[in-house]
Amino acid sequence: MIHVERLCKSFLDYQRGWVFAVRDVSFDCRPGEIFGLLGPNGAGKTTTLRILSTVLKPTAGHAIVAGHDVVAEPQAVRSSIGYMSASTGIYDRMSAWELVEYFGRLYGLHPERLRERMEIIFDWLKMNDFRETLGSKMSTGMKQKVSIARTIVHDPPVLIFDEPTSGLDVLVQRVVLQKILELRDMGKTILFSTHAMHEVQKLCQRVAIIHQGELQVAGEPHELLKRFDQPDLEELFFHLVDRADQETAMAEPASDRPAGARKIRSPDQPDLPSLPTEDETDS
Amino acid sequence: MSWSNLFVIFRREVLDQVRDRRTLFMILVFPILLYPILGYGIIQATAARENKPRIVVVVGAEYLPIEEPLLSPGGDGFNSRLLDPLDDTIPLLVQPESEQGSWGSPERRAQAIRNGTASAVMVIPPDLPRQFREKNDVEIPILFRSVDEPSQNTYFRLRELLDRWKRGIVDARTKKDNLPRGYAQPIQVRGHDVATVQEVQGNTWSLIFPFLLVMMSLTGAFYPAVDLCAGEKERGTMETLLISPATRAEIVLGKFLTVMLASVMTAVLNLFSMGLTGIVLARNGASLAMEPSQRAAAVAGLAPPTLQSALWMVLLLIPLAAFFSAVCVALAVLARSMKEGQYYMTPLYLVCLPLIFLTLIPETKLNLFYSLVPITGVALLLRALIMGDYATGGRFFLPVMVPTVVYAWMALRWAIDQFQREEVLFREAERFNVGVWLKHLVRDRQPMPTGGQAVLCFSLILSASWFLMEYMAIQGIGANLAAVAAGQFLILLPPLIMAMMLTSSPRRTLRLNWPAPRYFLLAIAFPVALNPLVNQLGHLVEQWFPISSIIKQSLSQIMSESPSLWVSVGVFALLPAICEELAFRGFILSGLEYRRRTRSAIFLSALMFGFLHVLLSLFQQLFNATLLGIVLGLLAVRSHSLLPGILFHFLNNALAVTQGHWVHGLEAAGLASWLYRNPEEGLYHGFWIAMSLLVSTVLFLYLWKLDRPDRTAETHGVAPVF
Repeated sequence: MIHVERLCKSFLDYQRGWVFAVRDVSFDCRPGEIFGLLGPNGAGKTTTLRILSTVLKPTAGHAIVAGHDVVAEPQAVRSSIGYMSASTGIYDRMSAWELVEYFGRLYGLHPERLRERMEIIFDWLKMNDFRETLGSKMSTGMKQKVSIARTIVHDPPVLIFDEPTSGLDVLVQRVVLQKILELRDMGKTILFSTHAMHEVQKLCQRVAIIHQGELQVAGEPHELLKRFDQPDLEELFFHLVDRADQETAMAEPASDRPAGARKIRSPDQPDLPSLPTEDETDS
Repeated sequence: MSWSNLFVIFRREVLDQVRDRRTLFMILVFPILLYPILGYGIIQATAARENKPRIVVVVGAEYLPIEEPLLSPGGDGFNSRLLDPLDDTIPLLVQPESEQGSWGSPERRAQAIRNGTASAVMVIPPDLPRQFREKNDVEIPILFRSVDEPSQNTYFRLRELLDRWKRGIVDARTKKDNLPRGYAQPIQVRGHDVATVQEVQGNTWSLIFPFLLVMMSLTGAFYPAVDLCAGEKERGTMETLLISPATRAEIVLGKFLTVMLASVMTAVLNLFSMGLTGIVLARNGASLAMEPSQRAAAVAGLAPPTLQSALWMVLLLIPLAAFFSAVCVALAVLARSMKEGQYYMTPLYLVCLPLIFLTLIPETKLNLFYSLVPITGVALLLRALIMGDYATGGRFFLPVMVPTVVYAWMALRWAIDQFQREEVLFREAERFNVGVWLKHLVRDRQPMPTGGQAVLCFSLILSASWFLMEYMAIQGIGANLAAVAAGQFLILLPPLIMAMMLTSSPRRTLRLNWPAPRYFLLAIAFPVALNPLVNQLGHLVEQWFPISSIIKQSLSQIMSESPSLWVSVGVFALLPAICEELAFRGFILSGLEYRRRTRSAIFLSALMFGFLHVLLSLFQQLFNATLLGIVLGLLAVRSHSLLPGILFHFLNNALAVTQGHWVHGLEAAGLASWLYRNPEEGLYHGFWIAMSLLVSTVLFLYLWKLDRPDRTAETHGVAPVF
């Protein structure tokens, strides 16, 4: 359902020039599975997920989400996914019901079907007590439930969660994780990024560890622990991060290397793909 | 474009704004409260002003003649016959003082004016009765303080009063000596005002309304734009919206329509509230005024605009509000937070204020140049329409509306572009350092310039040309060949330097390639085919917007000072062909094409090309230059080379410069009448103009439709010139 192949993304930075945020990332994610993307802050997780949700364009490589290419058919991709992160906010001056209804309409749901769907979701997430409450008056837990409702209102086959529990208290965290598991049981394809090991252990059938924009390793957790001879995921994570840092330090002097990103040459140089362009007149 | 998505977004944004107390206050409450409070303040201030009489100390009042009294019988005011019945109602109180007392000292008099105990001091000389008897000239000094407005006004009123007194004395003397009335007053001046009632009524509003309309429209657009763009980023809802299936254009249009609605509502409500306050003020003014003429003036001056004017205002407001809304949305999306968004307000107002202040100057009249200036054109047209000047209004309606709609459209495109840019939508805080930024500019140069660099290049060309013109004006140098050549040099310099410094491929930027041979053929065919049309269009424009005789004279003077025809061709055809092409179809067009919006880039570069001609020579050249700019832009884009454009530009200008010569040649050969209906002005027969239109259209369509890169493989194989 999600197929990512050699995905690259670089940004132009005033101080550092062109820097890679993501380099050569490849993985697959299947229906009825939660695929964990594990990495420290600034590893490139959010950039990868933003490319998959089509708000960023990849510099190279390609990604297919729900059968659609993220560059060629961005609208079809957006219609087939639900995206939620800890940073996606909700409108202060809209009630829970209005907000979910707004996005449902944007997803092109017929009013009657939308109403049916919303009743089911509001029951499932136990949101009926605050359906008329404005965003500004909601608690963090309520907001997170509204975000989940918004993410699944159009019943998408693919769900992308970018650190959805970040900054939440344990009670709300538990509810969110529980609902994600229930969604998996409904047969959804779920991509879940986090830097919390226990979440990966609890949720993910397969996991990829990403650091400095590069995928270090991918596979089933127990298989990875066996392969690297590590007692648990946390140790495996530190082991891979240390290994990657040592390799980078040997490759270039430390003074040239900024944290969390690798410097690259300008995109007009031949070994780098150029930015995608389209001629308005001629297309 | 999904209209249902657009409507859903628009509906939500409007609902959001209606629920926002700040927006409601700015749109509804503020205008409803502001003007009545201001009006009440004005009435109170006027009333307070009326109660304070001006004190005039008359030193030596005892010397005034009795037969022609200057003062009232009680001596505490002036003779009522000498007061102007149309004067305002501030009374002049007289304080008669003897010359023998302390008032005899000049210091005492000056001090009284300085500390405000007297508005003016009139000194009657002791020998006044004797001089009157002997019919000699008498000097009556009046002391006043020019920096104090009431004192200065009192002085002017005293002068008029003394004039009337003087006339009375002269009348008495002529009667006494039995002389005719015309002996002392050979000329009587009487002014007749031909202003219509609508003009008188419109005069006050025509100055205030355009100003207010623009300011309120801008204010009404700004706050919602910041809330809907920067606010949405700050609250974290922007990303959610971008991930929905709505396209960027739908999102921007939904937001833009909301902002525009707020802008129009703010402006209309402000005008409505102000108009209502005006009516109340006019009634109050009428009841306060004592004289019937004052009452009429107050009512006429503040009467509300007619229904027709009000409709014009709303009609013109819509494209203006669209322009402001698009600019505000594009600017607001740059900001990361509401706070940062507020910072953009000051520069926006600073740019708009000079443009709108022009309309407050009564001498500024709408002309073709002003009609092209954003904001000013609309405001001046509005002024003309409120005044009931429908002749000007009708003539300039399209020249104002078309550019305003075009500017609004371009601003909207810019806003949509901003929403496509990852670096704008996901901009993070960074410490700006000029040194690092300059280093980045050189280190991370791209093969082609950016759109921003293209606009900077155009601004540099404009500024440099303007400074050259100002320098010549200061030095008293008239227009001459050397100045024209220097002007061209200044057009060439910025694109050359910028291409070398800011791009990694100046050759690609300036399109220094050998094109396919057919483009040279097109470059020769186009100017020849266009010539009848260009001449006719120039003639039509001149009929509508005549060129002043002074300008014509100075133009022919430059031409006549040229030592030979070849020099004229060099200066007016070859130099502009090279310099202007390198700038406009080289650096600027390449920069505007940065995001591959070829159509917009060609149009925008042509508009810039036209605008430069307005600044450099005549605003009448705008149409021709823009039209040619479009063809030249298309030629440059299709041929991937500057050379055909240079040839085209050279031939086009050379045909104009040498027109007189070859028309003479044709006349000598007896062919002129076959081609021209007016050989003097180079006007062709209708048949040739129709042919010109046909052939040019065919050539243009060939370039536009058939010569697209996907149809012609060979365009990719262009060889570099250098």
